[in-house]
Amino acid sequence: MFRKSAVLFAVLTLSVFLLNPTAGNAGDFAIGTALENFSLPDTGGTVRSLNEVKGKNGTVVIFLSAQCPVVKGYNERISQLAANYQSKGINFIGINSNHTESLDWVKSNAAENYKFPVLIDKGNVIADKLGASVTPEAYYFDAKNVLLYHGAIDNDRSGKAPSDNYLRVAFDASLSGQPIEKNRANAFGCSIKRVGE
Amino acid sequence: MHFQSRQIAAACSAIIFALCLSIPAKAQKKGAPSSSASSKKAASFVKQIDFVGLRNALTPSNKPLLINFWATWCDPCREEFPDLVKLDAEYKGKIDFITISLDELSEIDRDVPKFLLEMKAGMPAYLLKAVDDDAAIAFVSKEWSGALPLTILYDAAGKQIYYRQGKVKIDTVRGELDKLLIPAN
Repeated sequence: MFRKSAVLFAVLTLSVFLLNPTAGNAGDFAIGTALENFSLPDTGGTVRSLNEVKGKNGTVVIFLSAQCPVVKGYNERISQLAANYQSKGINFIGINSNHTESLDWVKSNAAENYKFPVLIDKGNVIADKLGASVTPEAYYFDAKNVLLYHGAIDNDRSGKAPSDNYLRVAFDASLSGQPIEKNRANAFGCSIKRVGE
Repeated sequence: MHFQSRQIAAACSAIIFALCLSIPAKAQKKGAPSSSASSKKAASFVKQIDFVGLRNALTPSNKPLLINFWATWCDPCREEFPDLVKLDAEYKGKIDFITISLDELSEIDRDVPKFLLEMKAGMPAYLLKAVDDDAAIAFVSKEWSGALPLTILYDAAGKQIYYRQGKVKIDTVRGELDKLLIPAN
């Protein structure tokens, strides 16, 4: 009886998994999930790890593009945020997972715009792991690499008058020990150009 | 008698002219109720919609509905547009097909119509200006991160049949459309 029930349960579980195309999808990296340490080469070829670059109060892993006009529109705000919060123990790591962008291009773009390391995610391994699909897309982790916030930087890609500074609000809440009220927000942006797409 | 013919000809011309003016309005039927386009933008054939207009636009009216979200700043969006125009020509009358631009509102009478004219795109064209993009994205699909392009196909009852974040494969869309349309034939 018990054996039959166990088999039935296993079959049902497997069916749900197989019938649901999103089950087990990399896009399910949920708030509260811990990210394992990873290593990727930066634009100079030096291999950098998350644990080596992370801040004492947290880390932002932000997916970028050298080409995307939306990222270009955000570059100044990204740099400003990174500078403002580095002194508060939050470090930024840029990731470029676009296979369509050459290393030289990404390198010169990173040198021009960012003071934090930009890592090259060849084969979109980290993008797949986190389920990242758009640029810019930010993942804010605490000091233990647990995801606190995922999504847009703010709610105005033009930068003229953002009324919700999602990422900054998330920083301030976590730094003051408060819960992050809005831990997920989307915004329009460029799709990450994955290998094979 | 000759005078009457001229009057009839003039009346016919006036009717034809009036019909020509009404065609774009008819073509823009979906999502129209909540349009908030200013008079300044009236010259553009691209219609501004807000969140309510988006909700209306996503509701099929007795036909399959194909929707493409795009922007002029999005390279893959521009690259796939010729295929979308082809699909529109092939399935005209059998489905409703609309495009929704996520460009800045300032582009509604500039780059957006310019690009659509270059593409010879005849689908009803909208530009979404929502107060809350996050809410608009979530309304369209819980799966959507906001990455462009996005193409969704609904059947006539509003059930999502096809969802593609990234460039479409035209044969895949054709296949899905044909599957939807065959039972009706």
